[in-house]
Amino acid sequence: MFQIHCPHCGATREEEEFSYAGEAYIARPAKPEEATEAEWGDYLFMRKNTRGWFWEQWQHTAGCRKVFAVKRNTVSYEIAGTWTLAEGKELYLKESEA
Amino acid sequence: MSAYRVSRASQRINEKAPLTFRFDGKKYKGFAGDTLASALIANGVKLIGRSFKYGRPRGIVGHGAEEPNALIQLETGGHTVPDLKATQVELYEGLSATTTTGFPSLNFDLKGLAGQFSRFMPPGFYYKTFMGPAKAWPFYEEIIRKAAGYGRAPVDPDPEFYDHLHHHVDVLVVGGGACGLWAATLAGRAGLKTLLVDEQSEVGGWMLSDARAVIDGKPAMKWVSERLAELKSLSNVTVLTRTTAFAHHEQNLVQAVELVQDHLPIAQRVATTPRQRLHKIRAHHVVLASGAIERPLVYGNNDRPGVLTAAAGQTYLNRYGVAVGRKVLLLTHNDASYDTALDLAEAGSRVTLIDTRQRGAAAWRLDAAKKAGVELLLGYGIAEVQGGKAASGAKLVKLDPSCLTVTGKGPTLSADAILSSGGLTSTVHLFCHNNGRPYWNEERLSFVTPDEGRQGISVAGAVTGRWGLGEALAQTHASVSAMLIGFGRNPSSTCPVSEDQDIQPTRRVFRVPDGKPEGHGAKALVDFQNDVAAADIHLAVRENYRSIEHVKRYTALGFGTDQGKLSNVNGFAIAAEALGMPISQVGTTTYRPAYTPVTFGALAGSHVGDTFDPRRYTAMQSSHVSRGALFETVGQWMRPWYFPKGNETMHQAVDRECLATRNSVGVMDASTLGKIDIKGPDAREFLNRIYSNAWSKLDPGKCRYGLMLDENGMVMDDGVTACVADDHFYMTTTTGGAARVLNWLERWHQTEWPELKVRFTSVTDHWSTTAVVGPKSRAVLKKLCGDIDLSADAFKFMDWRDGTIAGVPARVCRISFSGELAYEINVDACYGHYIWEQVMEAGKEFDITPYGTETMHVLRAEKGFIIVGQDSDGSMSPIDLNMAWAVGMKKPFSFLGKRSLSRSDTTRSDRKQLVGLYTEDPKVVLAEGAQILSSRNTQAPADMQGHVTSSYHSAFLGRSIAMAVVKGGLKREGDTVYVWAHGKMHPAKVVSSVFVDQEGVRQHG
Amino acid sequence: MANFQPYLQSPLVNFNLPAQTVPADASQKVRANELPLLGYIVLRGELADAAVAQAITKATGLAVPAASRFSSGEAGVLIWQSPDECLLVTARAAVPALLAACADAFAGLFAQAVDNSGGLTTVYLSGVEHVTLLRHLGVYDFESVEAGDAVSTVLGKAGALVCRVDGDGVFLVIRRSFADYLWLLITKAAIPYRFAVAKLPSAGKSPFLRLVDAGSPAKRPVAA
Repeated sequence: MFQIHCPHCGATREEEEFSYAGEAYIARPAKPEEATEAEWGDYLFMRKNTRGWFWEQWQHTAGCRKVFAVKRNTVSYEIAGTWTLAEGKELYLKESEA
Repeated sequence: MSAYRVSRASQRINEKAPLTFRFDGKKYKGFAGDTLASALIANGVKLIGRSFKYGRPRGIVGHGAEEPNALIQLETGGHTVPDLKATQVELYEGLSATTTTGFPSLNFDLKGLAGQFSRFMPPGFYYKTFMGPAKAWPFYEEIIRKAAGYGRAPVDPDPEFYDHLHHHVDVLVVGGGACGLWAATLAGRAGLKTLLVDEQSEVGGWMLSDARAVIDGKPAMKWVSERLAELKSLSNVTVLTRTTAFAHHEQNLVQAVELVQDHLPIAQRVATTPRQRLHKIRAHHVVLASGAIERPLVYGNNDRPGVLTAAAGQTYLNRYGVAVGRKVLLLTHNDASYDTALDLAEAGSRVTLIDTRQRGAAAWRLDAAKKAGVELLLGYGIAEVQGGKAASGAKLVKLDPSCLTVTGKGPTLSADAILSSGGLTSTVHLFCHNNGRPYWNEERLSFVTPDEGRQGISVAGAVTGRWGLGEALAQTHASVSAMLIGFGRNPSSTCPVSEDQDIQPTRRVFRVPDGKPEGHGAKALVDFQNDVAAADIHLAVRENYRSIEHVKRYTALGFGTDQGKLSNVNGFAIAAEALGMPISQVGTTTYRPAYTPVTFGALAGSHVGDTFDPRRYTAMQSSHVSRGALFETVGQWMRPWYFPKGNETMHQAVDRECLATRNSVGVMDASTLGKIDIKGPDAREFLNRIYSNAWSKLDPGKCRYGLMLDENGMVMDDGVTACVADDHFYMTTTTGGAARVLNWLERWHQTEWPELKVRFTSVTDHWSTTAVVGPKSRAVLKKLCGDIDLSADAFKFMDWRDGTIAGVPARVCRISFSGELAYEINVDACYGHYIWEQVMEAGKEFDITPYGTETMHVLRAEKGFIIVGQDSDGSMSPIDLNMAWAVGMKKPFSFLGKRSLSRSDTTRSDRKQLVGLYTEDPKVVLAEGAQILSSRNTQAPADMQGHVTSSYHSAFLGRSIAMAVVKGGLKREGDTVYVWAHGKMHPAKVVSSVFVDQEGVRQHG
Repeated sequence: MANFQPYLQSPLVNFNLPAQTVPADASQKVRANELPLLGYIVLRGELADAAVAQAITKATGLAVPAASRFSSGEAGVLIWQSPDECLLVTARAAVPALLAACADAFAGLFAQAVDNSGGLTTVYLSGVEHVTLLRHLGVYDFESVEAGDAVSTVLGKAGALVCRVDGDGVFLVIRRSFADYLWLLITKAAIPYRFAVAKLPSAGKSPFLRLVDAGSPAKRPVAA
């Protein structure tokens, strides 16, 4: 069981208060109708499933109900940080470019 | 006093408090402070059980959590606990225990015969032998299960209770030995919130067993008492004894189980105190002072009753005042065991110390042993223990200096107890539960923790491989001082002093050679509980198992309730030898929780019985109970299922409820539906995106059925949403889907469309909903409501109105899940009970009939209305469900799931589609889940066409009806299909899934 | 129309707490009782937006609380729930006027007030072991809850809002449909602590206790 810092409540809480909400920053195709079968299938079903540092979403379901970004190591379970979705996106994009 | 009781100055038993207890029905005496094991040994009881595989006689080997053999069943009936280790069961007056093994009896065991043929039962025997035929397996299994296995699970309810307690501390110290106590003292003095847990009935650890230890110039136990007194005086320190930390998880969450009352006679247990308590401890920092456990050496017949570890022999003597034997052989390769020999000799036993080393221990120890009358045999090993149900002696061999080969014969000595010491094994389990790794220390012959610990964990004492008390305390002091600096505290205390004596290096021995090729001499056990011998590990390696994890699984080494505490290192070493690799390269198997077994009661805590899971009730609960409702659980809600009258069966009650509703008026509690208030300038746009149907033209005062798809185009929820104002909607969801849908809305809004100005507020619990259903429902409402024009023209189907019902503000929706004229009255739930009773009163003249979920299901199935999760299963699109009418393909925004509706797989013509079924025999009610075939041919592979999703007897139609999903079903109306269930085949005709009132006249009435 | 005589029932009505209530005394290490039939209004709006915050204060007379805190005053208690949500706990009789005041104050803003009076209730938990009791039920570090704190967390398998006014006890705001479950869980966990359904202390200045109306608390007629 982790402890997770909720950037909206400004508090570190136990995992029991949160729900996992999948990989972060999967962009929904802007024009789904124009997406090919393969592109749409990729969006629907393909996930990075990274071994190591992974950007994911958690929702503070028992608290403020906000979804936020968590950078977590899927091997060591270490949490590098948590951010609001908007804050996290900048970091995520910077890392993706690097 | 029995023959084995001796009086020791160091003993922790109370000779003035004698106790009586029973083992296997026979009465014995012991003392307060005894464990069941020490009391049994004191009474000369040696045979405690039979081994798992070969039925070999077994006795007590250890003195604590490491015990592999002495598994007992404690007490009977509701209090019984299986497979407790006799070494950990504290004796109390009237205790009753039985052996857990031996079939048909302990003294005559059938498997014992099998043991004679054990060379034919190598590892993998069961897999290799009972391969087939497959049909015979249940027969084999029954016999094997009866002969194998240990205790019996309790069948009666547990009369005691259990609870959980959460802790948040600065420092958790695991282990209350000298090092743990010192760590807690330092943390406590520094003002940190500190918790110390120790497994045993009192703190002290090895100091309880070692009568010779001295700290700061005083007897170690005196120092221990001083530490305990100091800790108890500090308000920031808590000490929990009888508390085993059994698991370490991420971010320093440690679980520990406290045996609060198990040590008390059953009659003395306090009814308001839990039997056991599970502590969930979140610690900023953990200090692991978990110590070390002595392992035995591996030699022939080393599993005979009366063969123990040297540490056990020393503990029974010094702590419990019990000599394990009057004529004792002690086999060792290290200096530390000489103390055991000295202590036993001092207590009057005749001791022969057999040291595998040619020169034995340090000179001062050799002298001391000789002076005490201990007979010394240097450079010898034991080839084979003699005796059957009790060890009677041993055959010795002479060893070469490397201890790898036998150089000659040795004497055969008689004895009533044989002890051995293969050195200490650090208790690294908790360090390793969460990915920590121990390393092999060749000098100390143990896997140990690195001195620096790991993130958030300090290690202290023997867990690092420091066997000397002085060096252990010094290391503890340094390690904990560093931790204090990390907390920003100043370590000021001085380290306690204990002088470590000169010792001779240990000779590396695990398997004592007997001069024969492995497998040809007497069986030399490595893992007692799983009957794994040295030869079995060699065989596993010969059969090409290379990884220690595979060797473990093939041989069962290290499984079981002791988790290999005695056996693992010996097993790894023997595997290393067979593989021709250093131990460090073989490594260890993975340490996983739990360190020792934990009862289900402790794990469940108060989450049992009526608080196992939340039971959610509506405001009308007492109304339902008073009318005799039976309940079913729907998404944690307790919903009335049906309301039997007199001796009615469910079938009769449901028929009556259905007919009353269709012919007059029924009433149902619909409060459990999820309700979400949706408001904001973009609320309508949001609905357009989240629902498959269109919301642009819904006016205030109107309701609409909405279908929610996941992004894969499959139906995930449905419900009616009312337009309150242009920017304000009131959504209902399925009962089970309420929380899921709210989170779904939040996630899409927050992650994908944060620019939309809309908010969602759950009002599920605020509104209480009474559904008044049937042709007389309007008449009932008329009696209760004067401010809403209820006429068919003014208040149409799918309209809603605010008004006053029975004097209470209400929101009335004219919606229907039955196809009848119906109204749902929503009020503040505090008025829910009142409104329900008012409706019942007003409906009396129409014989208003309350109905539950079963009747609701029949009524909706008669209309072909789906229930998400029953008629759909996450793989059904709206097209599959024949609900294309609820998909607004022309909506401008590509709503959730829309693109997927044109995926090649979603548009396959042979997808399963929702249809109705009429059985040929109208009396047959098909089984839900029954498979549907195109022909009567059931030969494999059968041509499976779909399955029945909903099936009922319809009293209104006077026949059975069913809903089903059938491949290409929408084009198969009129076809005959064959439904197979419970060994019978029923022909049925594919029909429309709307069975009643296909034109929808009734609901518009 | 018949002469209707509506009555209200609190979520814990089936435990018949008024009949079980005994005077509080020191031997009861854990005490609990319901503050029945209060008013609850959910306020939605970006709290960081000064216009929204001002509107809330204008409508309720209460300051917008900081994260995981509550403020209190004449109208009752205003509890922080999320960056765009507060819960106003008030006297039931005050709800209609407060809803109207909010509707006025929120005009032109992206903010709203939602009545949730039927959906919640409040339990007062006190006694020297009340923190221990919370530690039995939930993973939150309840020893760290200070006066003025409002923590949304989980007790057993149900959500709860834990508010501390002073050292004597905490107010638990819980959902109607989970109230039965939580009450049972509290009474089970309190077995070692001489649990009592104790008379609520006199209101004094307690911002919660002041809200309990006089009269039969659990089942009370109101004017038709």
